[in-house]
Order: sequence, then C-alpha cells, then structure tokens
Amino acid sequence: MSQILKRLTYFKREQTAFAGDHGVLTTDDRRWEDAYRQRWQHDKVVRSTHGVNCTGSCSWKIYVKNGLVTWEVQQTDYPRTRPDMPNHEPRGCPRGASYSWYLYSANRVKYPMIRGRLLDLWRKAKAKHKDPVAAWGAIVEDPAQAKEYKSKRGMGGFVRADWEEANELIAAANVYTVKKYGPDRVAGFSPIPAMSMISYAAGTRYLSLLGGTCLSFYDWYCDLPPSSPQVWGEQTDVPEAADWYNSTYIMMWGSNVPQTRTPDAHFMTEVRYRGTKTVVVTPDYAEVTKFADIWLHPKQGTDAALAMAMGHVILREWHLDGVSDYFDDYVRRYTDMPMLVRLERRNGRLIPGRYLRASDFADALAQKNNPEWKTVAVEEGGERIVLPQGSIGFRWGEEQQGVGKWNLESKDARDGSEVKLQLSLIDSRDDVVAVAFPYFGGGRQASQHWLHTDHEEILERNVPVRKLTLANGEEALVATVFDLQCANYGLDRGLGGANVAASFDDDIPYTPAWQERITGVPRDRVITVARQFAENAHKTHGKSMVIIGASMNHWYHMDMNYRGVINMLMMCGCVGQSGGGWAHYVGQEKLRPQTGWLPLAFALDWARPPRQMNSTSFFYLHTNQWRYEKLQVQEILSPLADPKDFPGSLLDYNVRAERMGWLPSAPQLSRNPLEICREAEAAGMDPKDYVVQSLKDGSLQFASEDPDGPNNYPRNMFIWRSNLLGASGKGHEYFLKYFMGAESQHGVLGLDLGKDEAAVKPEEVRWRDKPVEGKLDLMVTLDFRMSTTCMYSDIVLPTATWYEKDDLNTSDMHPFIHPLSKAVDPAWESRSDWDIYKGVARKFSELAVGHLGVEKDIVTLPILHDSPAELAQALEVKEWKKGECEPIPGKTMPTLAVVERDYPNTFRKFSSLGPLLDKLGNGGKGITWNTEEEVHKLGQLNRTVDTEGVGHGRPRIDTPIDACETILMLAPETNGEVAVKAWKALSKITGRDHAHLALPKEEEKIRFRDLVAQPRKIISSPTWSGLESEHVSYNAGYTNVHELIPWRTLSGRQQFYQDHPWMRGFGEELCVYKPPVDTKTIAPIKGHHPNGNPEITLNFLTPHQKWGIHSTYTDNLIMLTLSRGGPIIWISEADAKRAQIEDNDWIEAYNVNGAITARAVVSQRIPEGVAMMYHAQEKLVHTPGSEMTGRRGGIHNSVTRTVLKPTHMIGGYAQLSWGFNYYGTVGSNRDEFILVRRMDKVDWLGSAPQHILKKLEGEQ
Amino acid sequence: MKILKLIATLLHYPEQAPAEYRNACLEVLQEDTLLSAESKQRLAAYVDGMADADLMDLQSRYVETFDRGRAVSLHLFEHVHGESRDRGQAMVDLLDVYRSHGMEVALSELPDYLPLFLEFLSILEPEEIVSWLQEVAHILQVLHLRLSERGSPYAVLFEPLLELGELEPASEVLREQIKAEPRDDTPEAIDEAWAEEPVSFAGMPGGACGSQSDGQVKVVQWGTRARPRVRRTPKETHYGLHQPIPIRVLPVYCSGGVRHREHCPL
Repeated sequence: MSQILKRLTYFKREQTAFAGDHGVLTTDDRRWEDAYRQRWQHDKVVRSTHGVNCTGSCSWKIYVKNGLVTWEVQQTDYPRTRPDMPNHEPRGCPRGASYSWYLYSANRVKYPMIRGRLLDLWRKAKAKHKDPVAAWGAIVEDPAQAKEYKSKRGMGGFVRADWEEANELIAAANVYTVKKYGPDRVAGFSPIPAMSMISYAAGTRYLSLLGGTCLSFYDWYCDLPPSSPQVWGEQTDVPEAADWYNSTYIMMWGSNVPQTRTPDAHFMTEVRYRGTKTVVVTPDYAEVTKFADIWLHPKQGTDAALAMAMGHVILREWHLDGVSDYFDDYVRRYTDMPMLVRLERRNGRLIPGRYLRASDFADALAQKNNPEWKTVAVEEGGERIVLPQGSIGFRWGEEQQGVGKWNLESKDARDGSEVKLQLSLIDSRDDVVAVAFPYFGGGRQASQHWLHTDHEEILERNVPVRKLTLANGEEALVATVFDLQCANYGLDRGLGGANVAASFDDDIPYTPAWQERITGVPRDRVITVARQFAENAHKTHGKSMVIIGASMNHWYHMDMNYRGVINMLMMCGCVGQSGGGWAHYVGQEKLRPQTGWLPLAFALDWARPPRQMNSTSFFYLHTNQWRYEKLQVQEILSPLADPKDFPGSLLDYNVRAERMGWLPSAPQLSRNPLEICREAEAAGMDPKDYVVQSLKDGSLQFASEDPDGPNNYPRNMFIWRSNLLGASGKGHEYFLKYFMGAESQHGVLGLDLGKDEAAVKPEEVRWRDKPVEGKLDLMVTLDFRMSTTCMYSDIVLPTATWYEKDDLNTSDMHPFIHPLSKAVDPAWESRSDWDIYKGVARKFSELAVGHLGVEKDIVTLPILHDSPAELAQALEVKEWKKGECEPIPGKTMPTLAVVERDYPNTFRKFSSLGPLLDKLGNGGKGITWNTEEEVHKLGQLNRTVDTEGVGHGRPRIDTPIDACETILMLAPETNGEVAVKAWKALSKITGRDHAHLALPKEEEKIRFRDLVAQPRKIISSPTWSGLESEHVSYNAGYTNVHELIPWRTLSGRQQFYQDHPWMRGFGEELCVYKPPVDTKTIAPIKGHHPNGNPEITLNFLTPHQKWGIHSTYTDNLIMLTLSRGGPIIWISEADAKRAQIEDNDWIEAYNVNGAITARAVVSQRIPEGVAMMYHAQEKLVHTPGSEMTGRRGGIHNSVTRTVLKPTHMIGGYAQLSWGFNYYGTVGSNRDEFILVRRMDKVDWLGSAPQHILKKLEGEQ
Repeated sequence: MKILKLIATLLHYPEQAPAEYRNACLEVLQEDTLLSAESKQRLAAYVDGMADADLMDLQSRYVETFDRGRAVSLHLFEHVHGESRDRGQAMVDLLDVYRSHGMEVALSELPDYLPLFLEFLSILEPEEIVSWLQEVAHILQVLHLRLSERGSPYAVLFEPLLELGELEPASEVLREQIKAEPRDDTPEAIDEAWAEEPVSFAGMPGGACGSQSDGQVKVVQWGTRARPRVRRTPKETHYGLHQPIPIRVLPVYCSGGVRHREHCPL
C-alpha cells in the first residue's frame, strides 16, 4: 500500500533538536530583544553644529527622543566637491562628539544668577526707590555699597533670580548709565560672529540701538595679522581647506593642522598620496610634524629670519641669476615691485622714502582726481614715466572721468595704452647710490634670550636709481621696489658696495648662512626648501601653499614673521592661484553673508554709524595695563629714524592715533555725548562744530586722555559667547584688579610706574596717583556653563546651547553655510541669546520712559578703510592738537555724526527692519547697491509688523529664524539677485564686466529651511576675493588675479613696500628680521620669594590645545580624562632637570604680571628654553593656591600683559585705515618670559575636602 | 508618602521663605509613621533651623552646594553616566517610567532630578518605593557621604531616604572598610592618581625608539595607576541605575568605598 496518504506532503514536523542534538529549537518570548532594537529608535534627527569658536562648522545629526537629546553622529550629506577631489566629509572630532553631553551637565548654568550681595542691595534699594533706575543710581553712587558687591566678585555667593528681576536690574543699570554717563559707557564683547551670527547680532543690535560700544575680538585675540591689511588691504581672506588638495607643495608653518583643524586635515593627508610634498616648520615636535617630508625647527620667534633667508634664495635663483617667466610676469602685474619710491636724505644718508605719486609731477600726470594717491612706474625698456591703472586714487571719485579705471589691466591710465612696467632700473639707471637699511638682528634693545649677530645696525647697500625733476623743481632720486627689495635681502647684483652677498655661505643678512646663528636651522635645508618651493611654483604656476599658524602672529613683531612668508608667496606668484597662497585659519572665520548680516548686527537699518572699538587699546587702557608699561618706544624705533620725531610712550601713540582719526576710542569724549548735544543746542551750534571748537579750545577732550577720570571709563559690560577672563584676557590679573575691583582675588605682583622714580610716564595722558579699582558697575555674562568669566560677573544669564537654538554658521574652512537648529527646547530656564537680548531690550524701553526720550547723540568715527575717507592723509603725519593743521572731521580727526536715538522705542526697533536700508541701500567693502526689492520681499516672507509704533509696516524680526531670513535675503552670498547687483556695482568702479560670475545663479535664493535640509554652497560675491564655482576651489586673491580687480591697497597691488612715515620710522618699510622684545617682567621678581627649589627662566608659549576649543571642553570630564585632568605646563627634559622637576610635579610659573599653578608635563617634544601652556585652561578645575600671590593660581594669561605697537595704530591712509576686526592694535603675548619652579607646598586654600572619617568621627 | 514629598521640597531651591511652610513641614513629620523618632527629630531640627535663616543666605548656600560642580549634583545620572552619551537614553527610559504611571514632567527639569524623582516616588506604593530607593541606593549614599564630608546641613535630608529604603548610611563594616582604604584627598594621593607613567617600548622587536632589544617580546603596558577603584556587584535592573560610577580622573569626585548594604564584596 502506498504511503502517499500517510506522509506529510506540505509540512514537516518541527524539529526541536538538530545538529545531532547539539542544537535545540525553543520558542521563547523574544520581546526582550526590543530593549536593544529600540535603543536606536528616535523621534527626529536634527542638523546642527558647534558654534562659537571652532572653525570646523561641521554638520552633525542630533538624535532626539521624547524631547531629549540622546546621541549625535557626524552628518555625511555635504554637497559633493567635483570630480578628482575628495569630498568634505566626514567632518567632526572628539570634542564635537562629546558636546551634547554639556547639555545636561551639572556644570550647566540653569537659571539666571545674580550675586547675592548685589541682589540684596538691589531689593533694598527698590524698596526705598519706586523707580528702578533711581534704585540703581542709589547703589552705584554710594561708594560703600558699590564696594560691597564689587569686592566680592569672584567669590561665589550667587543666587537664582527670575528673568523678570534680572532683566529689570540690567535695564535699569543701562538706562542709568546712558543717562548719567553716556551710551558709549555701555560696552559689549562677543567674538567670532561667523559661528552663530544671530546670537552675536542679538547683543550688538541691542547695544547699537543704545549707542553702546561693540568691541572687536580678532585683534584682541592677536589672531588678526596686521600684515594682511598691510599687504593686501584685506583681512584674512584664505583658501578653503579643499584647496589644499590642489596644492603640490604645502608648507605648514607654525600650524598644527591635525590637532587644531581636525575635520579638514584629511585634505592634507590625502593630497600627500598624490605626491604633494609637505614641509613643517615648528619649534617643537608638534603633532603635525609626523606629516612632514622635511621638518625645520627654528628657535621660536625667529621665523622671519628663516623666511628672509628663503626669500634671499628665491630672489637669487629665480629673479636675478635665473628668471622664471611666470614669476616675472606675476610680480610686474600683481605686486608693487615696479612702483617707484623716492629716496630721502637723512643725517647724510639716503634712505627709502615714500612712493612717488602723480602729484609729484608738474602736471600731476594730468590727474585732477586724487593725484596724491596714484603711484607711478617706468615703462619697460623705455624712459617714459607711466601711470598704471588700479592705484587707490582711481577707486574713489572717478565718476566724472567716464569708464572706471580701478583695475589691473596693464595700461597707462592717461591714454589707455598697453604698457609693460619696468621691474628694475639696473639697465637704465642714472646712477648707483648707497641706500641705508635698518638691521635689528644685532639685538641692541631686544630680549637677550635670543642669539644675535654682530652686524651694524645700519647697513648701506648699492641701489640703481633714476633722477627725476619734480613739480617743485627738486631733483629726486627714485628706485623701484624691486631694486630696493633686492638690496634689502642683501643680494649682490654686481653694483659693488658692502653688505651684499654673492654666495649663500656669506655671513651677511639675509643669507642662509646668516640665519643659522639666529634660528639654528642648517643652511642647506633652508636652501633646499626655498628651491623646491619656488621650483614647484614655477612649474605649476603658483601651486605652492603656506598654511600658517597664528602662533607666529602672537609675537610682538608678528608683521615681520608674516610678511617674510607672504613675500615668498608673492615672489613665486602663488597668491590668487588655485592650490597656492597664504592659508591663515584663525580668529575671524569668515562671516560669509557679511553684507546681509551687518545691518542686522549693528542696527544699520535704524541708525548709522554704530560705535565700534578696537578691544586691544580698550582693555590696555581700561584695565590699566598701561600703568605698568616698561617697553620704551626708543627700543623699537628704527636706527634710521630721528628719535625727536617719535617722542612719548606707547599709550601716547594710541591717544594721538585716536585724535587724528586713525583709531576709534571708547568711551569717546570726556563728557556724555547726549549732554554734549544739549550743550551745543544751548549754544545755538551744530553739535559737530561745537565738538570741533571745544576740542580745539581744550574744553572737551578724548576720554582716553584721562582714563581714570570719573566719567572716562566703561560702566556696564555685556559678555556673551565668550570667556573673556578665562581665555583671551591678556593681563588677566589687571582685569581682576582694575576692571572688576576684585581686590582680594588679583595676583598682580609688579609695581606701577608711579612707584618707580625712573619710569617714563605718558605725556598725552593724565597720570592719577590713585587709579580706579572696580570700573565696571555691572558685568553681565551670557553662557551655558559656569566659566571663569561667569565667576567674576555680577549677573550670569543661562543661554541655549548649540542644539537648542536656530542660528547660522559659516567657516573659512569650507564653502557652505550651515544652520544651528533647535533640536530641543532650551533646558531649565535657559533662553537663546536672541531671546535674552530681546527681553532686555523690552525692559529697557519700558524703564527708559521718563529718563530718556528721543535724544541726539554725537558719535566720533575713525577714518574707515573701504570708504572714500580712506584717502585722508596722503603725504605727512600732522596733528591738529599740536597746531600742525586744522581739526577737520574725517580728514585730520575722526568723522563726527549726530545720530538720533529713540530710547523708548528700542524694543520696537530691535524687532523690525528699519527704513535706512530702503533709503541708503546696502553694501560692504566700498560697494553699495539698492536693496528696496529685498526689503519688500523680506516683508512678504517674514510678514510685517502690524502693531502701532515706529516699526509699523516694516518686516518683522521677531524670532531667530526671522533674523536668519533677514541675513539670507540681504546678502549677495545667499541671494543670487543681490550678487548680480553687487558685481554690477563693482563693475562701475573697475570698468570691467564681473556680473558673469553670478548670472548663472541669479535666481538662486537660499532660505533657512534649505540649510536645515542640507548645508548650501554660497554664491560668489565681490565681498570676497575668491570664487565659489564648479571649476576652482575657493582661493583668496583669485578674482584679483583672474578678474583684474585691484587689491584694496594704495598701489592697488600686493605691497612688498609700506611707505607710511610711521612704518618707515619703525623700520618696517620692507620686511626685516626683528628679534622678540624685552618685556622686563622677570628681573624685579627673580629670587625674591625663594621656596627652596631652583628657579628657571623660560619663554612662555600658549598654543591651541588638543582637548578643548579654547576654554570650552577644558571643564568637560571626558576631555579632561583624555588629558591630565587639570592645568598643565609642558617643559623640556633639560629644563626639568635643571629645575629638579619631575613629570607631573606641581609647578608654579610667575612674573610681575601674576602667577599660575599647574602640573608639569616633561616631554621630549619641547625644545629647551620654552614652557608651553595650552591656551585657555579654566581655573575652575584643580587650581591650587600660588606660593607667590597667596591666592588661587591664575590662567595662562595671568603672566601676560598687553603691549601695543605703534605701526598698528596707523590710519587714514588707504589700506592702513581702521576697520572693525580689520586693522588695529593687537594683543601679542609670545615675547613673555616666566620663572618656573617646583612648588614646595600644594595648598588647596581650604577647598580640600575634609576626609570623611574625620568628619564622621568628629560627630560622634 | 508625604515624607518623600517633604524631602523633595526641602531639596528644591528655596524660592519662598521657609518660615512660611515650616508648620506644614512639621505637620507632615508628626503624621508620619514610618520614620524613626530620631530621624524625625533631626529633620524637624533642620526645618526649624532653616526657618530662622535669611532666605538669600539659603539660596546662596543652595547654589554653592548644588548648582556648581558635579560631586553632589542632584541629577541622578550625573553620578552614573556623567557626560557620557548613555545619559540621554537613560533619561528617556526614566521618562517612560513616569509616563507608565500617568505622570508628565511639568517643570523644565530633567527627569533624573532627585526632588522630581522623589515626588514621583511619593505617589507609589510603599514596597515600590523601597525597591526604587534601593535602586538608587548607592547614589543616595554617595550624596549623603559627600555632603557630610563637606559639613553640609543638606546631608540630614538623605538620612530618612536611606532609612526608608532600608539602607544603612554607614555601617560599622563600611566604616571599617573605609578606614582601611588609603585616603584619596591628600596631595600625595592626588598626585598619585594623576601620575601618568610612560609607555616603555623597550624590548620591542625591531627596536622601536632605537632602544636595545634583548630579544624578549614584552607586552607594551601602561603603568598601572594607584587609584581607588570602586568595585560593585551589578544588580539586575532594567533602568541602568545600577551601573558603577565611572572612575574619574579628578580625585575629589572619586570617593571610594560607597557600597550597597546587601553587596559588600570586600
């Protein structure tokens, strides 16, 4: 019988055992698996980034579940680059990856906090005075009450407050200060708007509506290279990181790329696989050195000597003995090498003078417009003097002359004829004369911690010259910049004379042999690198690149370090070429949609001009660091200058610069500007005339002429997105003493000039024997963590973190505009910066009623770069104060403007876009366009204000997203139509068509939600000198070279030569080597307080760290765990041995400025003579007491003090005119020395926990 | 359980003058039947003491104690996950627990905020409360010991919690154990905890760093750190609260020797 019906056909029996009973099938409940399956479920993914101060601007996916951030990962959907280029992603680093956990950290500031002492005084005063403004006045005008809370700054005692109370106190203080002392006595500091530009703009918009002072950051951080404006008339325009991949020879000079530019470093490592050679120049064995084919390690601070020697080799082999056709053409067309310079006679010597100008000739070379601002050259092979187009005189006021001539076409401006400029006069010379050059490498006044050579301080070298008869009948000797440059570099050209070298082995400045003694780098390596650098640039037409680290910019003579390097790049035609150029990635980080942002940030839609101030001079003055100044002007003056022309101290130069309209000042004048306007009205005068007259007769002064005068310092200060006291505050202890009045907290160890008989006090400034301690009446800090700055503030307001707010972010490292977006609501009581300032503005408007109405405010404005005023002081420096000229606003002194403030309407103005944009248009960097269309469209997009009042009918700027849309609508970078308008506006000045660069994108409009969907590449705009295109990566100077748009300098070209009288006075007309200065901070204290351990003297360097972004993350356990968990200072093995220090010992570092306590890291990485402390380690974590000060050890800036440099104060002179974060004094810090010794006793100052058992036993 | 609500209130930032609710507090204490008389007395003394103090002083003391630093943070997961990414998920899980009991967080506070957690417990059944308190026992003990160590009056508020959770604050055994442990807050101990011993490549084949090879293959090791280690026996729970406190570099935060009563492996 068949089995067919017994067998199962479609089924088989479930097998419970298999594999020979080794396996068993079970049917258990598998729901437990949900635990891990659901682990990675989430409600939404949001795109954001980390943004105040990191260049990364990396895209991150934030995972949110139940309204809580659960984790984050790197986003990988960047727009592609293009074929044969690696893409950008993944971007991110361990710091960013550990970020989201700040969000819920115990260190988070959760509630508004006010120091209890102050709050107590406030509540009592309010009980007494019904009016909050009067209540504030009662507190601050009573010295006893003021001292009571100021002296407690830094000592804790915070209590929580609610927003209403905090806003009321702040607003009352602001109203009171504006009314009594003046709006410019309210100041605010916030850095790097590019990273969260709305948050930045919130504060500056509020301050600008008040007439308050917005402080710069880039110069203060000392990341701002003054060399960039000097050479290019532009501040930090650099190639994007992807362009590294187009380079075939990369030098990383003082830049620790893998450590500090982590998300971008991959472009550098990738291009090495394509055969690109990498050279690293760092004094220490930094992380980047492992990527080096050649590592050069010069003595720290001597980079200029190295660069000069390389320049010597390049000039010799590629411009003199051999000639690169590419270099030759490049320097003729794009640099000032062919421009003529007059020689001057001083003390029987010929020295390089100023550029020859059209105005020097009898007919002014037929120029009616700005002949004093037009440089002159000689035609190649001919005798003819020519007037090349493109110098700055052609930039302004040429409207009447027909087609614009501000361009780099090789034409004579007079007749438009083609002309090739002559580089050297050697073959058509009238004579050869000895020209004197200054030499600083002998170390006459420099720090004795460096090695110097014994060459004379004045070196005469032969230069070929032409003789010309000028308008005044005088016969002038002129030379080209090229010929002066060759002489300056010490090149023997067969013209005879001394101080020139025929061989690289001659010991003559600036040969490779000469630099050996100073830098310690063997000459053959210098020659090798210089040759390869140039040969590569010659063969590739400029694809040699220098990625430069701001560490080199932190030396007092940073200009020389940078110009030395920039010279190499210019000599080799690398600037403005894809894969070449100068790559400096610090500090300002490129706010891409800048011209859309400016009106929002500085309230230019309601009132112009805003008050902006250079922070370095501001803090130098108001934290009284000037009272300790030991560096004399004579120490840094050129040996060729007449000391009689340069009297006084460093501060005197700053005050003169303010009076001459070169630098801004804050507070501006010695009285309340609202009051001054009332006085003018009473006198029946225009306030501007009244100010000029009062300044002239001395009844009114600049506030800085008496900085300790009761009405001459800032009273209220806002700090947001910044850890001013914990990171950038050079002279930290002076801040504590004078700014904050934290009398029992500061560690200033030195004596001021008043205690020193021999000291030279400033002559322009009133010296008061008793300086003010505790200048600030109110210091408000907005932060999400309890930073060092918060500790000293009166009020701490909790801000939203980077995953809790909507904002915009851009970076110079990549071409995208990126959002910060609100993944979750701000935790606890925190609010976004935008909402915080909106709240303060609202309260301010309420409280202003009855105290402030519609007021007139007189604003002093320095002569600004990129404005017609920059053609102010063409030939000489003249001071009206000394009667050398008349005070003429905008010409010989600051521009004066009367601005109307409508204080009760501050909030309404804050939250709507004002009418000045329709009336005056928008623009930037010297270009203006009509923007009515965009304002109209923004009104449609954001809707208009429907409540009555000044803002009625205007586009709303209510939420942060409204603010984002405002920027995106107005900026050419994010609105194609505006880009086309902007290029057309530029075309009018250059006389060339540029609109083709944006026309293909005319219809493109980027909105906030587009960015949230994917970061967007911006549109090319004339605000920047590179292109955003499908063909080239962004590279600075690209449109100058390829579109023939002039650099915004005097000559319109990249300038090797700086002809301003002060530049020449300080010996920097051409690049030279200058050793570090002597800050004199060691001698007064050395050996004075022995603790039994040996003291050694070391140079103090503060590079950027691996486990933090500035001070952020230095209080994060994850990052601290990866490092050593607290403040550390690195020293070399040799120095450690000398000082009997072992690794991890507690050491103290100190000088007259203050003291630091930290652990020693003894490492082979560090060269002898150097101590290295990573920048901005918080003093909140593990900082014991100092044996020197008896107080808690400080931060890295406790041993530094700001020292100003006069050449950075120059203004009213083409590219050397002031601009916010563009030019100005910088806070250098690398020349500083410290004493280091092992600590004898580590004292935690009572914060060491009592041991648990002791306590428990004690209770029993 | 009203006593938990009371403690939650006392652990919260003092927003109104304590004198105003002093009597309400004392009433709760009188009504309570679970706490020992001694505990009640100490709590009552705390309430009395607080009522006499100035509000702003109390606020300032509170901020100094709880709003700065991690060691005595009132957020439970600070002591379990710190700044690790697991914290987000742990909070989500805890939120789910609240929701499963029909409770939504009404304030802008995180779900692991101790007063909030205690208020949640106060509506549960007594046996559930004990179980939950035991779950967070080690954190309560840590907080209690650290606050006592600092001489903080807030330590008193943790004693009833330990008592209700049938936990011992510091048994003789525990004290003995702690006594036997090296101190971690002396400069020497902190030094040691931070010491980073160099990696030795000596003896590596190929002579890394140019050192002489003796032919022996040696394992490259980090030097061991003499640092107090917290050893724990994991208890099976599903909310992750049992996880050990991570060893941290900052010695003030590593107070060793805190143990759950039932798990004293030493």
